[in-house]
Amino acid sequence: MIIRLNTDMAAGAIGLAFAAVLWLGRGDIGRLSILFPRAILVILFVLSLLLFVKGFFRPGGRSIVISGSPWRLLVLILLLLVWWFAIGKLGFMVSSFLIMFFITWFLARVEGPVSWKRLLLWIPIIAVMVGGFYAIFTQVLNVRLPSGLLF
Amino acid sequence: MDMLLEALASLMTFEGLITVLVGVSAGLLIGSLPGLTATMALAVLLPFTFSMEPLQGLMALGAVYMGSIYGGAFTAILINTPGTPSSIATTFDGYPMARQGRAYEALAGATIASVIGGLVGVTFLLLLAPPLARWAVAFGPSEMFWVAMLGLTLVASLSSGSLLKGMIGGCIGMLLSTVGVSPVGGETRFTFGFPPLQGGIELIVALIGLFVIPELLSMAAEGRSNITESAELGKTKVGIRQVARHILGKPVNLIRSCLIGQVIAIIPGAGGNVTSLVAYNEAKRFSKDPQSFGKGNIDGVVASESSNNVMVAGSMIPLLTLGIPGAPPDAIILGVLLMHGLRPGLSLFTESGVLTNGFILSMGLAALMLLPVGLLGARLIHKIVIKTPYHFMVPAIAMVTILGTFALRNSLLDVGIMMIMGIAGFFLRLIGIHAAPIVLGLILGGIAEQGYVQTMLAAVVDPIPWLRLVENPLSKVLAALVLLGAATALLPGWLERSGRLDKGESSRGEDK
Repeated sequence: MIIRLNTDMAAGAIGLAFAAVLWLGRGDIGRLSILFPRAILVILFVLSLLLFVKGFFRPGGRSIVISGSPWRLLVLILLLLVWWFAIGKLGFMVSSFLIMFFITWFLARVEGPVSWKRLLLWIPIIAVMVGGFYAIFTQVLNVRLPSGLLF
Repeated sequence: MDMLLEALASLMTFEGLITVLVGVSAGLLIGSLPGLTATMALAVLLPFTFSMEPLQGLMALGAVYMGSIYGGAFTAILINTPGTPSSIATTFDGYPMARQGRAYEALAGATIASVIGGLVGVTFLLLLAPPLARWAVAFGPSEMFWVAMLGLTLVASLSSGSLLKGMIGGCIGMLLSTVGVSPVGGETRFTFGFPPLQGGIELIVALIGLFVIPELLSMAAEGRSNITESAELGKTKVGIRQVARHILGKPVNLIRSCLIGQVIAIIPGAGGNVTSLVAYNEAKRFSKDPQSFGKGNIDGVVASESSNNVMVAGSMIPLLTLGIPGAPPDAIILGVLLMHGLRPGLSLFTESGVLTNGFILSMGLAALMLLPVGLLGARLIHKIVIKTPYHFMVPAIAMVTILGTFALRNSLLDVGIMMIMGIAGFFLRLIGIHAAPIVLGLILGGIAEQGYVQTMLAAVVDPIPWLRLVENPLSKVLAALVLLGAATALLPGWLERSGRLDKGESSRGEDK
């Protein structure tokens, strides 16, 4: 998918927004602690402004290209964020099994419809993957993974 | 010398050999999977080293790094898809060779070149790093500030098409490094009233997010599942001895590529893709038969693979001496060093000399192990690469990424920061702000801040305090190098706009 966008102006605007958020959120930090961030904030502001102005007169690019399906991209972003949220609620094992199963099915659909037989075959494969990593991290590496309703 | 021997003794144990062997095999496997870079291999396998001793952990990661860079050559030769960006130039001649039924010859050539390249890089590292580390002691706060700025300028100009965008990325990274408790004033900064942010943004969390998540998103969006044209790995008439005789019989190409790899490796941010492309270009330029390049000339494979494997150890020179990563995967190694309380500089070669030398020697051992592991495991890796469906690969890598991030500090917030940084990194890349300058800004932010604040404190009575930054001769040289780096990045664009680049190129073409 091609989106018409002046990339210089977009990058300049992001730099300015980032600088503004930190500048407004600096509070009453003491002189020693603000010395360096303030210098970088000023440099970021100047560079972003230069890029923004350059975008008006001599833009580096007028479009961005998202290769592949933007729909799949957005769904995967959403699923990753849901995964993060679900780990805290359902625990690592349950949430990872569910989300991994869903991502596998969602991505496999690129090649065509997924049969029930394949879906059933994936259950033990994904369970072994999740269980295996869970066992390695908890038993071998001594990492306490988040637990939830069942595990 | 005693430290070197002691390090060798600690390396030559059963545990040490197995660690390197497993590391090389794991790196080789991940590196050979298209889309999975050496940085991703290190990030994904990092949590497995948490329970190890510092030396064993570093040995494992060094071996993974060496294996993954070499692994990229497998898919580059067999399916015309570089497993890692470092192997882009390997496809130019490797794949045509495979199509001609010379896949084994190409792989043997890549293996021998990688082994020699790896060993040359380790030798350079052993010879150059200690004197450079001793020299680096002379660097005061203002010099360290300029070293940080130099690294950032070079990365900003090399990794992005636009210097301004690269510099903006670097500034964003530096500002992210200031989140949390200030190293000089001791106050909390930019936490927006959210106490868990007081610990700052963990370097490895940011690295995993910015390097792994954008690749996963790209893989999912593009639906990378169709590895279609695969060359057969049949046994050919040319054996490994004949390939070795060909490469070592005319060593000029190999020596030139290794030297190019080493010189570029020291420049922060240049990475393996730059080294292999430059070495390939020079091999073609100096060849008596340049027309055969791109059509299956083994010298092209040798140039690309030897130079990118020199880079593995060679890029550690600025990392171990000044704390500036020469290539993105080095940033993970830096994170591990800091995690074990080891700071780059002279102390790494004196107080922790056994550990540092052990780590360097383990990379040499890893380079040697590429030969048996690569040649014996070629068929197995070929099968795995061809048969692993991407719909399993994407969620599996995502799971390991989440686990690795969580395991760092047992923090779900880190997982969230990693994901948000990764998603933001994907969209920033679309508009030309790449991950490398952001990450380097994050790493160099601390060095630059200490140098800047200490210099400013010393100059508090000066009429123009910032002039103290360029008071020493060394500071002046470093500041001039920063300006030179920025000017070099701007020069091609200016020449192109003024029409001089085209004229120059056409006149060069006429000369030929």
